[in-house]
Amino acid sequence: MSGICRPRLAEERKQWRKDHPFGFYAKPAKSADGSMNLMHWEVGIPGKTGTPWEGGLYKLEMIFPEDYPSKPPKCKFTPPLFHPNVYPSGTVCLSILDEEKSWKPAITIKQILLGIQDLLDDPNVLDPAQSDAYTMFKNDKIAYENKIKKQAQNNKP
Amino acid sequence: MSSDYEFSDNEGDYYDSDEMMDFQNDDQDEDDMEMDDYNDDFKISTGSKRKSYEVDHTSLSQTSVEKSMKDDVDHICGILGVEPAAAALLLRHQGWNKELLIERYMDDPAKVLVDSGAAVQEPARDSTSIRTHSVDKFAAGPSSRRATRSSSKLLSSLTSPTRSSAQKYISSPTASASKSRKDAKSSEEPESFVCPICFDDSLELKQIALDCGHSACSGCWNAYTISKIRDEGEHCIRCMTEGCAIVAPDDFVHNILVSDAAPDSDTTENLVAWTRFQEILVRNFVSSNPKLKFCPYPGCTNTVSCPSAASKSVLTSMVPIVSCGAKGIPGSVKDKNAASSASSSGSSNSFYDKEHVFCFGCPIESDHRPVVCGVARLWLKKCEDDSETANWIKSNTKECSKCQSTIEKNGGCNHMTCKKCKYEFCWVCMGPWTEHGTAWYSCNRYDEKGGVEARDAQSRSRASLERYLHYYNRWANHEQSAKLSVELYAKTEKKMEDMQITSELTWIEVQFMKKAVEEVEKCRMTLKWTYAMAYYLARGNEKDLFEDNQRDLEKAVEDLSELLESPIETENIPMLRQKVTDKTVYVQKRNEIVLEDTATGFQDGRWRWNVSVDGFEEPLEEVRVD
Repeated sequence: MSGICRPRLAEERKQWRKDHPFGFYAKPAKSADGSMNLMHWEVGIPGKTGTPWEGGLYKLEMIFPEDYPSKPPKCKFTPPLFHPNVYPSGTVCLSILDEEKSWKPAITIKQILLGIQDLLDDPNVLDPAQSDAYTMFKNDKIAYENKIKKQAQNNKP
Repeated sequence: MSSDYEFSDNEGDYYDSDEMMDFQNDDQDEDDMEMDDYNDDFKISTGSKRKSYEVDHTSLSQTSVEKSMKDDVDHICGILGVEPAAAALLLRHQGWNKELLIERYMDDPAKVLVDSGAAVQEPARDSTSIRTHSVDKFAAGPSSRRATRSSSKLLSSLTSPTRSSAQKYISSPTASASKSRKDAKSSEEPESFVCPICFDDSLELKQIALDCGHSACSGCWNAYTISKIRDEGEHCIRCMTEGCAIVAPDDFVHNILVSDAAPDSDTTENLVAWTRFQEILVRNFVSSNPKLKFCPYPGCTNTVSCPSAASKSVLTSMVPIVSCGAKGIPGSVKDKNAASSASSSGSSNSFYDKEHVFCFGCPIESDHRPVVCGVARLWLKKCEDDSETANWIKSNTKECSKCQSTIEKNGGCNHMTCKKCKYEFCWVCMGPWTEHGTAWYSCNRYDEKGGVEARDAQSRSRASLERYLHYYNRWANHEQSAKLSVELYAKTEKKMEDMQITSELTWIEVQFMKKAVEEVEKCRMTLKWTYAMAYYLARGNEKDLFEDNQRDLEKAVEDLSELLESPIETENIPMLRQKVTDKTVYVQKRNEIVLEDTATGFQDGRWRWNVSVDGFEEPLEEVRVD
């Protein structure tokens, strides 16, 4: 899908600039020479209001493979996030980001980002990706919430 | 076929014997042209009478498996009254279990159709009307553009009605992305089609949709389908729209890849993907039927049907070693004729054109007779766990037990002569060879008396390691010797060819070496596995008898191996030939005795193990091996 990848990403960029959800940002990364690298995006996802994640803006990298959109992009929190479904490397574990699960070529960047935002306060305990956050979420909800609030403080935009 | 409607207790056991007959008949029913293929490639040359260590099996080509798949599909079409494309999707979704499918379909046809991706989830108000796949639906080419209609369909599908169904399929919380920008796009330009995947809006774009109506351009469909097939080996290719679970039927995939492929797509890549798709379908069918197994050799597309080994419980009384009938690795030899002419001209690669022999009952991709699957698996696991230790103790070289010079084995025979001190010894036990030539040959039996003396734990563990190494060394040695004898043959063969030119001998007269090496290799494989068996056999008369047979075979094989290494001179050829031929026949007999005896032993339940093995009685001995 190499022929489709770049035009699609260019269009995604156009659409995003035209309209995107409040509090989010998403832009292709700048290469060392100042040119735009469409295959690598830097994005920010805000925590939802009314949740312990509120106030934080969580930085994420999106790395698009050459056969995007047949294959999903890799989404990675930088720095890694304390969350049951985020791997220690920062990579997000989400069914719509898995080509063998629910990834579909029609899923847009906006849908991905909104999906990840939903995941923040609604972790999937059936699919843990890191033990620290998972164990705390299972055993001590209060400590978990405090930790999340602290993390939100540290991720102020 | 009446039994199709009965429910058997064993879910996996739904193929009645009639159908298995069909498999065999298929081969005969094919027209002449294909008949030749079968005769050459797929038929097993079974001997006149079956030996007790052999198992009845049939080899099926991909075409004949496809035919039985089609029979199943037609059967379901007839019963459920659905299109063949839908029937195929239904069967795949139910693991080709016809009874289960019919039962579920009778319960709730709409649900079964939607679950298998054969029909669109209709809005709740009209759940009875279900659209199934119709073949010509997506054939709307660029000439009959229905841009307006499609985009409105797209629009409606992206807004409220399908939202609810979308949420059903996507467990992750993305459904809140309710307002897609595609809506905005299509409402701005209602007259032209914009592919929602690549955002191309050129006029010559061909839009294609499954029955759900989610259109995309043919280029995107092509790339997506290829990526699903090639990278993921997926036969279930769903619509590209988020949350839409409808599955592309086979004709659709064919259109996308072959008959109606996007003009700028790579034709070769398309054909490769289509071939792979058909293979994936066959594999899916084969893997859901316990009586069938796909040939594990790389590039081979044959299937073996072995009804007698279909259930796991029979694996304690038989070793279902089967062959798909094909040889070599496809691609390395262009066609059958080239292969046969290569072997007749005595080319050395004939040995690498190995017959596709594998075990029907377990994942071991070679002949592990005489030992049953459970014990073979135990042994391989043990070797894997202990191999580091074994490697540490037994390096590639050994020292001459007399002069301590380091020796590397580079020939097939165990009779070693030290280059330096001319000491003759056995490579395996390092004892003097003089003891091996006569009745004193005792290289195959581990002397367990030493173990009794071991009182403290340390020496016990040393004894157990030593015991393991005794068997492991012999096991590994036979494997290596088998390889070396093939190498030796390659060298000898050249000489034989020269001889054929220089002497009076005809081609057929110099073939005895080839036959002998083949036999040696085969017997070494048997011997190899007899050591795995002996390691786990419980002590007693049965084991002694087994080891007697093993010893006789080993002795015969070593003799023949040694004979093969003897120098070949034109004058001694007739004598050598006589000797080798005699020995080969003898070795063959001994091998048959070992295989026959162990096989009947399994049938009679004669063998007892010193560890617990699935399906066998618990060991009686109080002393167990770890």
